[in-house]
Amino acid sequence: MYKGIKIRLAQGEPAIKDLQKAELPELFRGMPQIDTTRCTVGCRTCRDACPTGAIMLEPLRLDLGKCTFCSICTDCCPAGALSFTSNYHIASSTRQGLITDGRLSGGIKPTAASEEIKKYFGHSLKLRQVSAAGCNGCELELNALGNVNFDMGRYGIEFVASPRHADGIVITGPVSKAMSKALHETYEAVPSPKIIILFGACPISGGIFQDSEETDRSFLGDFSADLYIPGCPPHPLTFISGILDWLERK
Amino acid sequence: MKRLTVQNQRPFETSKVPELSVPEFESEVGQILSEGSRMMGLFAVEASVDSKKVLAVLGNDETSQIYLVKCLFTGESMRFNSFANEYPNTNYFECELAENSLIVPEGHPWLRPVRKQTVILGNIPYEFYSMQGDEVHEVAVGPVHAGVIEPGHFRFQCHGEEIYHLEISLGYQHRGLEKLLLTQDENKRAVLVESIAGDSVVAHSMAYSLAVEALSRTSVSLRASVIRSVAEELERIAMHLSGLSGIANDIGFAIGAAAYGRLRTLVINSLLLLCGSRFGRGLVRPGGVMFDLTEKSANKITENLIKVQQDISEINDFMFSSTSVMTRLEATGKVSLKWAGAIGMVGPAARASGIRTDVRSGFPYGAYRYHSIQTVTLDSGDVYARARMRSLEIEESLGYILERFVDIPQGETRSEVNPLMENSGVISLSEGWRGEIMHAILTGPDGKIKTYKVKDPSFNNWYGLALSVRNEGISNFPLCNKSFDLSYSGHDL
Repeated sequence: MYKGIKIRLAQGEPAIKDLQKAELPELFRGMPQIDTTRCTVGCRTCRDACPTGAIMLEPLRLDLGKCTFCSICTDCCPAGALSFTSNYHIASSTRQGLITDGRLSGGIKPTAASEEIKKYFGHSLKLRQVSAAGCNGCELELNALGNVNFDMGRYGIEFVASPRHADGIVITGPVSKAMSKALHETYEAVPSPKIIILFGACPISGGIFQDSEETDRSFLGDFSADLYIPGCPPHPLTFISGILDWLERK
Repeated sequence: MKRLTVQNQRPFETSKVPELSVPEFESEVGQILSEGSRMMGLFAVEASVDSKKVLAVLGNDETSQIYLVKCLFTGESMRFNSFANEYPNTNYFECELAENSLIVPEGHPWLRPVRKQTVILGNIPYEFYSMQGDEVHEVAVGPVHAGVIEPGHFRFQCHGEEIYHLEISLGYQHRGLEKLLLTQDENKRAVLVESIAGDSVVAHSMAYSLAVEALSRTSVSLRASVIRSVAEELERIAMHLSGLSGIANDIGFAIGAAAYGRLRTLVINSLLLLCGSRFGRGLVRPGGVMFDLTEKSANKITENLIKVQQDISEINDFMFSSTSVMTRLEATGKVSLKWAGAIGMVGPAARASGIRTDVRSGFPYGAYRYHSIQTVTLDSGDVYARARMRSLEIEESLGYILERFVDIPQGETRSEVNPLMENSGVISLSEGWRGEIMHAILTGPDGKIKTYKVKDPSFNNWYGLALSVRNEGISNFPLCNKSFDLSYSGHDL
């Protein structure tokens, strides 16, 4: 028994107190910062190097829905026009909101959910996760949300086993052909009103699997998402802060 | 010579691999298998309308040699005599070849789909094995599971609570990855390789980068090699902690689950300090590493790891001495040495059954050539052994990293990558936290990659999980599953 108590004491208080104001190491790649004044006219080094076509030119913009945060753009830019800050507040409630010119120093903030959604899910939100060909990177980060550090349960937000018990689904992966039907059926099994959250570059845009012939993204054409969490994989803090902002929770 | 003998990450000219007729191929591969080697790959390297060439890759853990044999198949009906009845470790590789290239292994004991349920082998639709009799029933689980995990389908044949047979039907994660590796440029390829299995980012990018470096005769600085091995061991520690946390959770040992989970955060945050990603993404690239290790981050990582080292010994001691834990783990989900060897299991799961196999010592690569790491084995082959193995490997890896940090070699971390050699090939093995990863790359006359084959350790070990649950209560399945902790996406590609 003493061993158990000793381990409990060693645990200390590992929970991050304020998930909205945590500090991540400077190497963490979150909200990009773009300084177009440094770009040379006609230079397209970063765009040509980007593995997922996330970079648009004139003016230089970055689509976080496609970005895998691999850092090749910051590495190859001859002028240092692109960099990533450690700001993890990059969740958006619209697809368009993920395209940034890198000037929003405060990060991206989702617009508030409807009053109905806030009323139903503002105090308790149960989610069913569907991995539709996710590589286990995103799945691990979603699992991490339940650990003692992030402790998402403190906000009444939890993952549940059955879609019947859920208020919405969280999709990871680019949606393989073989998972398309299961994804549709899982979503149908969730009672209304229900929400869809896309977690990671793969569900949002196909990510690095955009050119795959083995995906069937019809579900994402049929239904629109309520919240987009960019990253490869996204940091757990991006997910939790995104939801709290969207539901206007303190 | 009927075979080409190569070593891990040593390039070879493709024309040097002897091309055999089907009977010669059967006898040569049979001979290599009888010498104690196991199959690491069996795949088509060239295919036209009326002929196909298949490369067999076999490795011997004791001699560190890799044997290559090529076979030419011609005519309408392409078939060979299956090796699987005598050497079960080849069985799944033969299924994969049949599915991908429609070359039939004659007399195969259990020809079944690997990834594509729609490809019907030999025009016979696949049906799960089933049992008949009183109180016999079938349980179907998946593809969507209760937890936050990847999709796959499990079919249990039970008598009452007892599992007689489990079939694991995968392919839900298939993203056409090997095809993309051939068609996409090198920047995309590096990110694709990191997504084969998102929990084995470093190990897969090691296998890929070392293969490209071998094929382009690019040398990597010692400093970069050491940083790579540090990242690889951090990945191993993090995932082993995640697995132990999961096992503790599955048996209701809440304090273990919480404590291992907390320590895992420290370890993946150490990877974050090293390269900006908690999973080591963006770090390892052909030519070296993209991020140098600063003194500041090395100090912080050291601090984290010393904390982990202190805390974990107490948690391990508590967990593995607790009677309630041990009654759940011991003698559950046993895979005997004989079976594990026969089916060609790899990694910690194989070592837990007493097989001394570890790419880091058997086929050393990168920094493991200069700084060896101890291979630990246990012999009970049960959930306890697989859990204990993970805790022992954490200790080994922690020691390994801290030893490297004492004296990190100075120098550049990146070197220019030369063009790939023409008509060449390489077999690149690395030891991920689940076991042996193989990447095989062959180039054409223009120096472009024309064959890319990936084998994740999960490909070897899924069948081990199916065997481990035989005669277990069905409620023990989640525990057995977690003790193997296999990758769906790594298998499905």
